[in-house]
Amino acid sequence: MLTFLAGVMAARAEGPPVVFFPASTAPSLVLDIAAATDLVVIEPLIRDFQTLHPEIAIRYRDFQTTDLFSLLQRSCAGDGRADLALSSAVDELVKLANDGCALAHTSPGVDALPSFARWRNEVIGVTYEPAVIVYNRLLVPPGEVPHSRAALIDLLRTQPKAYDGLIGSYDIERAAVGYLLASFDAENSTIFGRLLEAFGRSHLRELPRSADLLAELADGKLKIAYNVLGSYAYRALLAGAPIGIVLPRDYVLVLRRGAMIPKNSAQPRLAAAFIDYLLSPRGQATASARAFYFTPDGPLPRGVEGTSRLSAGDSVRSIPVGPELLAVQDRARRKRFLGLWRQALGKPLAD
Amino acid sequence: MNRLSLRVRLIGLIALVFLLGSTVLTVAAWAYARIAADRAYDRLLIGAALQIAGTVSVEEGQAVVDPPISAFAMLGLAEGDSIFYKVEAEGSRLLTGYADLDVPGGPVTAEPVLADGAYRGRAIRLVTLGRYLTDTSSPGWAKVTVAQTRSARSNLAFSLTMQALKMLVVLGFLILVAVLLAVHLAFLPLSHLGHVIRARDPNDLRPLNVPVPSEVQGLVNAVDRFMALLAARIQFMQRFIADAAHQIRTPLTALNSQLDLLRSEPLPAAQARHLERIQIRADELSRLANQLLDHAMVVHRGTLIAPEPVDLVHLARRRLGEIALLPLDRPVNLSLDIEGEPALVMGDRVLLGEALSNVLHNALLHGARSELRVTVGTRGGQARITVSDDGPGIPEPLWSAVREPFHARQDGRPGAGLGLSIVVDALRAHGGELLFQHEPGRAFTVILSLPARLP
Repeated sequence: MLTFLAGVMAARAEGPPVVFFPASTAPSLVLDIAAATDLVVIEPLIRDFQTLHPEIAIRYRDFQTTDLFSLLQRSCAGDGRADLALSSAVDELVKLANDGCALAHTSPGVDALPSFARWRNEVIGVTYEPAVIVYNRLLVPPGEVPHSRAALIDLLRTQPKAYDGLIGSYDIERAAVGYLLASFDAENSTIFGRLLEAFGRSHLRELPRSADLLAELADGKLKIAYNVLGSYAYRALLAGAPIGIVLPRDYVLVLRRGAMIPKNSAQPRLAAAFIDYLLSPRGQATASARAFYFTPDGPLPRGVEGTSRLSAGDSVRSIPVGPELLAVQDRARRKRFLGLWRQALGKPLAD
Repeated sequence: MNRLSLRVRLIGLIALVFLLGSTVLTVAAWAYARIAADRAYDRLLIGAALQIAGTVSVEEGQAVVDPPISAFAMLGLAEGDSIFYKVEAEGSRLLTGYADLDVPGGPVTAEPVLADGAYRGRAIRLVTLGRYLTDTSSPGWAKVTVAQTRSARSNLAFSLTMQALKMLVVLGFLILVAVLLAVHLAFLPLSHLGHVIRARDPNDLRPLNVPVPSEVQGLVNAVDRFMALLAARIQFMQRFIADAAHQIRTPLTALNSQLDLLRSEPLPAAQARHLERIQIRADELSRLANQLLDHAMVVHRGTLIAPEPVDLVHLARRRLGEIALLPLDRPVNLSLDIEGEPALVMGDRVLLGEALSNVLHNALLHGARSELRVTVGTRGGQARITVSDDGPGIPEPLWSAVREPFHARQDGRPGAGLGLSIVVDALRAHGGELLFQHEPGRAFTVILSLPARLP
């Protein structure tokens, strides 16, 4: 659908991919976005933003979350710079904001967000992304599709052979989103320990990126993936992958991707304009049609199984954009959690 | 300073005191608000620290901690504040948190210890508390420190202070209104007193009978005492004058009889002329002495009036009769008219008679060429005796001067000028007044006006 690519892809060996979206008018202003968000997801939004602001060029750098975190930490200390940070590892953004590395941005759009979707107007939740169970439609018979965590546990207990080594989830040591989602699973679910045990028995495959999980699902190397971000999964579904998407009935974790204007942003006004665009009705419409697909109050995208509306039930557990995430960032807690995780999965304790 | 109005001084002083007081109160309110805000948010801080401390445990001989999400959610209730924390095992071995967070020294116990501090250039509030661990390799206190920036506290303290300030402003406005009202009310008796003194007859030296607040009573007493002294002084002077006049009359009578004796002897023309002049001067002197006595009598009687009904017609008829006997150098036509209702007043017959006599004397001696008309009547509650003559009358500019005793005569004619002032005093003692009326080219009229006695 994006047949023309005005940007220049510069694949450098040591750095992240950098894409430049030039402005259509000269002279132009450059907004430097440092993100942990796939380019294909964000590109429709950037282009739509540029039709509204043709004078703004955008330099887009797509990092791994850990790289983005260290970039932003260095930038906070005065080394390096980004004008706007966009990350699914929203706990890292909260930690940065807590340490005084962010500028606040107040606008009607930001104020309209629920209080748990923003912190101090410094970290702003700009998306709405449920964590879903994804399965391969060709390999999992309809009767076996798990619609809740309990059903997944039962499935792995009753059919240990059929799913052994074919269950996947994030590698929570390397994927910040995976760790964040797992942390809140542990908070929200009484059966999380049993789920982990079941995963351990089935020899859970841990992969660092959503794309890897989705690719293996499509290839049949995985039958079921747990806690995949719905936005990526639905994009794969639209692209024709033979997968099905389930919103767990017991509860749905919803992650809000965070936007933050770093303290040393050279273009805080442009960054604020981009945030306001993402929160605007037009930005939300574009996001729901072509970028993230899920919205807080819109209908579910076609083909997603589970509850009919995400906002309706009590089943939604939003991951708050707030100081709670500092606990997730806590070193001791992380070490302990990873230890429990490894133990449950029957892996050797690393040190 | 002394010229400033009392009102301005009072309000200024009260405003000054109020401003100083408000400043002190605002500072106090701010200090109190800070304490209150600290108390409120310290609970969150302590709660969070306790929650974290609750997760400190020993695993395989090692102290471990697992800070719960709920602790941070609780701290998040202080909106907008950053959170810094640190958990150390015995021997300051860092378990988790911000390694460079400065923790106040001192022994650690399970009791939370609060302190103020700074972290990375920002003011913070810290709480430190301990949890004793026994089954580690080295038993001792694990130390949990939780700190928070102060913006929520400052906001709360600020809004509390603003509330107090708002109340102070309202209070100040009420005080201003109250002061204005109080000052106005407080000065009412003073202005009333001033009004009473201004409206008072200059000859009325009786004590001021004005109810005043005790604070003003001293002033009233002083005025009364002064007026009493003045009255005594005047009384003394009047008695002195009366005595003097009386004393002068005796030698004058002797002088007059000597003059009579002298006149009965044949004298050379020049000496007769001198004698004539002496006679005139002696007469003047007698008249002056008589007038002084009259005046003293009027003043005396005026203060001691024992009112009785007086028929003005009767009075006028008698006094006109007396006047008719006076020797004159020209024929003057005297007449008495009675108009309307009978003219009855309450008063002193002698005093009123003297007053009328004086007026008639004046008119006859200085005014009337050929005609003197007296009219008596009552109209509109006022009994009036009008005395009209066809003389030159008194020029209008002198009307007020002639009411005063010893006024300088403008026409150079003899007389002490006591006559009309006696009339004025007599009438005033009866609550009446002396009026003049002059229509150019026509008669000059003197009016004695008195409140009529109600039938």
